Amino acid sequence: MSSFRKDKKDEEEGGSGNPFNNLEKASVLQEARAFNDTPVNPRKCTQILTKILYLINQGETLGAREATDAFFAMTKLFQSKDVILRRMVYLGIKELAPIAEDVIIVTSILTKDMTGKEDLYRPAAIRALCAITDTTMLQAIERYMRQAIVDKIPAVSCAALVSSLHMCQYSGEIVKRWVNEAQEAVNSDNIMVQYHALGLLYHIRKSDRLAVSKLVTKCTRMVLKSPYAACLLIRIACRLIKEEETGPDSPYLEFIESCLRHKSEIVIYEAAQALVNLKTSTSSTSSRELGPAVSVLQLFCSSPKPTLRFAAVRTLNKVAMTNPAAVAACNLDLENLITDVNRSIATLAITTLLKTGAESSVDRLMKQIATFVSEISDEFKIVVVGAIRALGTKFPRKHGVLMNFLSSLLRDEGGLEYKAAIADTIITIISDNPEAKEAGLSHLCEFIEDCEHTSLAVRILHLLGKEGPRTKQPSRYIRFIYNRVILENASVRAAAVSALAKFGALCDDLLPAILVLLARCRMDTDDEVRDRATYYYAILDQQSRALNSQYILNPLPVSVTSLEKALHLYTLDPVDTPFDIKSVPLALESETAEAEKKAGAPEGSRTIQIESTFEMLQAAEPTATRLDVFASQLANVPSVAALNLGPLFKSSQPSDLTESETEYVVQCIKHVFSRHVVLQFDCTNTLSDQLLENVHVALEAPEGWEILAEVPCPRLEYNVSGTVYIVLRMPEEISECLGSFTAVLKYKVRDCDPATGLPDSDDGYNDEYALEDVEISVADQVQRVMKTDFAMAWEEIGPTNELEDTYALTALNKLDDAVRTVVQFLGMQACDRTDRVPPGKSTHALLLAGVFRGGYEVLVRTKLAMSPQTEGVTMHLCVRSEDPSVSELITQAVG
Amino acid sequence: MGLFDKLASFLGIRRKDCNVLVVGLDNSGKSTVLNHFKSPDCKDSNVVPTIGFSVEKFKYKNVHFTAWDMSGQGRYRNLWEHYYSDCQGVIYVVDSADKLRLAVAKDELDILLKHPEIKSRSLPILVLANKMDLRDALSPVKIVQGLGLDQDLVKDKPWQIAATNALTGDGLAAGADWLSDQIQLNLSRRK
Ligand SMILES: Nc1nc2c(ncn2[C@@H]2O[C@H](COP(=O)(O)OP(=O)(O)O)[C@@H](O)[C@H]2O)c(=O)[nH]1
Ligand SMILES: [Mg+2]
Repeated sequence: MSSFRKDKKDEEEGGSGNPFNNLEKASVLQEARAFNDTPVNPRKCTQILTKILYLINQGETLGAREATDAFFAMTKLFQSKDVILRRMVYLGIKELAPIAEDVIIVTSILTKDMTGKEDLYRPAAIRALCAITDTTMLQAIERYMRQAIVDKIPAVSCAALVSSLHMCQYSGEIVKRWVNEAQEAVNSDNIMVQYHALGLLYHIRKSDRLAVSKLVTKCTRMVLKSPYAACLLIRIACRLIKEEETGPDSPYLEFIESCLRHKSEIVIYEAAQALVNLKTSTSSTSSRELGPAVSVLQLFCSSPKPTLRFAAVRTLNKVAMTNPAAVAACNLDLENLITDVNRSIATLAITTLLKTGAESSVDRLMKQIATFVSEISDEFKIVVVGAIRALGTKFPRKHGVLMNFLSSLLRDEGGLEYKAAIADTIITIISDNPEAKEAGLSHLCEFIEDCEHTSLAVRILHLLGKEGPRTKQPSRYIRFIYNRVILENASVRAAAVSALAKFGALCDDLLPAILVLLARCRMDTDDEVRDRATYYYAILDQQSRALNSQYILNPLPVSVTSLEKALHLYTLDPVDTPFDIKSVPLALESETAEAEKKAGAPEGSRTIQIESTFEMLQAAEPTATRLDVFASQLANVPSVAALNLGPLFKSSQPSDLTESETEYVVQCIKHVFSRHVVLQFDCTNTLSDQLLENVHVALEAPEGWEILAEVPCPRLEYNVSGTVYIVLRMPEEISECLGSFTAVLKYKVRDCDPATGLPDSDDGYNDEYALEDVEISVADQVQRVMKTDFAMAWEEIGPTNELEDTYALTALNKLDDAVRTVVQFLGMQACDRTDRVPPGKSTHALLLAGVFRGGYEVLVRTKLAMSPQTEGVTMHLCVRSEDPSVSELITQAVG
Repeated sequence: MGLFDKLASFLGIRRKDCNVLVVGLDNSGKSTVLNHFKSPDCKDSNVVPTIGFSVEKFKYKNVHFTAWDMSGQGRYRNLWEHYYSDCQGVIYVVDSADKLRLAVAKDELDILLKHPEIKSRSLPILVLANKMDLRDALSPVKIVQGLGLDQDLVKDKPWQIAATNALTGDGLAAGADWLSDQIQLNLSRRK
């Protein structure tokens, strides 16, 4: 965590007075020739070495030649007995070791120092020695390392242990042999030795969970003297608990709980923090379980040591996010901390209280923060904003106070991240609380009047475009948006144009005015702004709701990279028929959402989805999508490519056709094209004494399905995965396109030597292995599509191919489970946020949109209700699509 | 330079410090030879193969020696030259019983003598025909022939051969006496 305020002293010193300030590499290296002089002048050489080290640490790079020369000159200094110089030489060796050649020349001499009588040399010599030693040379010094690990001088032992840990990276196998010595060192009375020894032991055994759990069990019994070792043990125990998923009566947990009574504060804190992390990560935790950990943190809150207070309140803050009730007991102690001289502690205390406190205390706490918010760093301001976001959800009625506070924060100085956090919070409050919408939007409008961050302004304009037209008085936003067109840079202007267009598309009374404004934007100096204005003007001018909805309000449904590729191909080989956008693979909603999550949006925040066509073009990184990767892989399989299946529509997630940890592991990915399916079987042979040949999958296809091609895998070696493909033509009649196929893996086995992987003899035998059935479901053939205005889309598609039915989902007894299951089963996109069931409701409407393979749009409207008589959920489902048989397929599939 | 050194050089009795390079094939006994000269409390109880190099300091007669004990293994031999420039004498140790590698020892010695840093200077070269206690050890005369010391390559350098047993120290004194004399001579000439 960065310090609270920048140290004044650093700034004042700023460079002057540094004797090394104007060093030049060439002249320093020239000076280094003095190392060759006899007798050695220790003072002078120490100076020169210091300069070399300074240069390297400033980022100056030495060439291999320069480094080698300096290194060999430096070895001459070993003739001097001067202690300071010798220690500088060790440092020099460590720095030059990675660059210079033949550095192993100092092996013997360092070994001598490491085992010699001068204790001042020994630890440093060990570290230098390990820096120059590679795996082959390590054998030669192994004996000395083992001795050093158990040396009676703690500094020597520590140096050896830490160096061993470093060497594990490249010589793990050798270091593993030192486990007895490390074991002995764990018993040391010295706290540092014990700590490092435990670290090394753990590292050696890390990959063997059983060995680690033995280690932990043993150490928990012996009562570690070193608090650092105890802390480390707690961390290892935590990892074990997570990996083994042991229940509440795990002995490790018992150990961690016992550490709450340790005599050292850092151990107590580590244990409390570990318990908090373990317990809050599992969702169902009662505040009683957190009780013991929270009480020790509570004690720390009144410690005279600021570090302890800080640590405690920071951890409590974390608990409060998931488990505010558990922290409520500390409210009094936290109240005392809100006036702490340390602002970081005060901030954390207040934000914790905001999470745990009652609605009535909100106003008071907000006032308290306001007194010092301008004095704390952005990082803590973001913590404050996070707390306010949580408050907004908890106390929707307080939105007025919160909004005002946030807008005052927006007016203050601050970096992009901070401002973005505030804007995000306002947006969250707006989307959860319709009452706050108007106020929130106007705060944001005011903010973009003077916002220096382009990306933020673009986001807010996009939000205004989305939400503004649906408010009571859309016209009031136009001025703010149009001001951007006049005053800002091209990116912001372009975003403003898009926002204006949305008002035009949704508010008939504003349309004439919008058209005038857009007409003016067509004169813009920037290409993008002009293009957008021209585009939107042309569409809006048609005054067709269908056009508006398809080309302004709803996002481009295809993947941008794929579109680019398809267009490129089309231009390379022009044909008479126009370009068909339906031939372009669709964008995966889940992929974009995933990418957005990864982009670091804090949990719980809903970043604005970039939906407009053009924003999408700008935002989408031109990376290949998963679909593109598969498409090009399939194009490289000659017998698949030869069939000309057309563009790939959708690839399923891999599904397991075998249990895990069996002899053979087979996964299946279904690649769906407009009339075909390619089944990709990824097979792994986990038997080291077998080589499989001519591996193929025998599939029993139901009537109507036809196997067009099979690509067997010629060889399947131990642990090298191989792939089998099968191409199927789907039945003509769409409603018959669901199916289940029995599959058997067939192959020829050749026994072989596990060590070499070579077959024992020339002949083998045929064998087979039953796989789970391969299922082709609706979800495999449907892509998600986001509709910003579901109702309009529903009207547009019309009732021609409408089908409806009612179902009883007896296996499900919660509405949100039912929603999740239906979404997953149909593989469609939930629109208008209907995938979230408001708590306490007994009925819910779920709206789904998608595109069926071949490009047919499908919309589904379901009404879900908890049925009182039978346990379970009743679902009324209504499908509309562009093709009657698609509707039929969906109603059938659900039934 | 310390006060004593200044005074001493002013009076013309400069302290006799010198660097000698101890080279030869691996396992010839270089480290054992040097171990013999070290003061009793610094002696290694068992000599292990040298990896790279080592420096030893000892005093013999009036001369303070700083001896650079180089590893003789093939991979380190080309690193010897880093230490040529500042030595005042060379001790070349040969395993008299290692007939097979005598030719290799000769090649290495030739390379050393031809090196520009060595060639131009009249450095004293002390050759130790070590391990003379072994039954099949060659005689010093045979060693001289084997190394080609009778040829003109070393004709401008003072050289001497001594048959030694580094384990007991037999013969070392004679060799060391000669070397310290030569070095003192060189030092006084330089003045
Ligand atoms: N018999 C015998 N063995 C020797 C003599 N000198 C050295 N050794 C042995 O030869 C081996 C190599 O010696 P060492 O000093 O490490 O050789 P270096 O590689 O030249 O430094 C050791 O086992 C010594 O004990 C000697 O004069 N006679
Ligand atoms: Mg040696």
